Amino acid sequence: MAVKFFGQFLVENGVVTSDKLLDAINLQEKNNLKLGEMALSMGLLTEADIQRAHNAQMSKDMKLGDLLVEMGFLSLTQLNDIITRQKNTHIYIGEALVQVGAITAEELQKQLDAFKADQAQYVSNGIELPVSLPNSKIWEMTADLTFKMVTRVLDLQFRPGRCELVKTVAPNFMLAAMDFSGDVNARYLISVSEGLQKTIAKAILSEESVDKEPVEVLEDTVMEFVNVVCGNVAAKASQMGVIMNINPPEVLHGLQIDEEDTALVFPIHIGDGDKMELILLIKN
Amino acid sequence: MKKVLVVDDSLSVARQLEKIIAESGDFTCVGHAKNGAEAIKMNHSEDPEIICMDMNMPGMDGLTALRTLSVMDKEVKVVMVTSLGGVGDKFTEAIKLGAKNVISKPFETDNVLRILREL
Repeated sequence: MAVKFFGQFLVENGVVTSDKLLDAINLQEKNNLKLGEMALSMGLLTEADIQRAHNAQMSKDMKLGDLLVEMGFLSLTQLNDIITRQKNTHIYIGEALVQVGAITAEELQKQLDAFKADQAQYVSNGIELPVSLPNSKIWEMTADLTFKMVTRVLDLQFRPGRCELVKTVAPNFMLAAMDFSGDVNARYLISVSEGLQKTIAKAILSEESVDKEPVEVLEDTVMEFVNVVCGNVAAKASQMGVIMNINPPEVLHGLQIDEEDTALVFPIHIGDGDKMELILLIKN
Repeated sequence: MKKVLVVDDSLSVARQLEKIIAESGDFTCVGHAKNGAEAIKMNHSEDPEIICMDMNMPGMDGLTALRTLSVMDKEVKVVMVTSLGGVGDKFTEAIKLGAKNVISKPFETDNVLRILREL
């Protein structure tokens, strides 16, 4: 019940062992040459050329291939030849597992179908943002995955409200927050009412009653929900080619919005007066 | 019964795992460490056969602790329990460092027990 990549799916389901997967990863790393390594193997560059380009990369935000062309080490045709050869010789993890004898080709196809079916539940549905933002697909996916986890982890029926651009956030009983860094910088927050905090605690702890639980445990369950959502968001983002690192979650009891941030609120209507909101503070 | 150490900064996740372990009949929980540094100390004092460890923790994180444990104790079997399992680089790093499996969060009781029994 999580966003996974294929190797993890196979190990977690006991189809291949971690040792066999490691053999396959090692085969991939030996076979799937990086751009510089491929250029070297094709005799188009020397190690000194690559080192000079790597040094230049420290002060220029450019891909290695583009930089090698700009520095005159490669022609555009040579760069395209290298990329084509990389694509033609690339082996995926499934193929590598077959080559190391961990799985048969027939079993691989069966597992690929099972993996596709398992991950289909995390294919994003349409979410509309009120403003045009860089990485808008990431924020749409973040909201969509949050809604899916409210259903799957908390087992709650809800109606998502329209996303709004805000300058302030209405007070609520508590907030659990987690910071994203890497290719994007933002703070992810879930705001909940007192009743909803208990509902989340019951779901996370699998308990009928949480009336005797200390405050720190109740707050921790909301943080854990945020942790689960954000980890899965980071996993989905990595599939989309975007690096999102996460820090441990924290509890807040109030929120000041920085004027320079873009603040988006996604209301989550649960009913019975319980209030839940997803808030994204995106650093511009 | 096999001894299991739970390592997670989250009280609620530790509670869930301790409950699953206690009700399994095959395993006994020997303690709960809240970060990687505590895990290394408790691995020494409690001598577990299995460690269930989160990746993302304040202080010493799970991958750093795994790196140390893989050098200090060749016998203990480490399973990472994380919401970050789907991030390919993190998963690959855990397997390279010697983790025997990675359990995704949110997890299901049957899945956790099956993975622990297969170790």
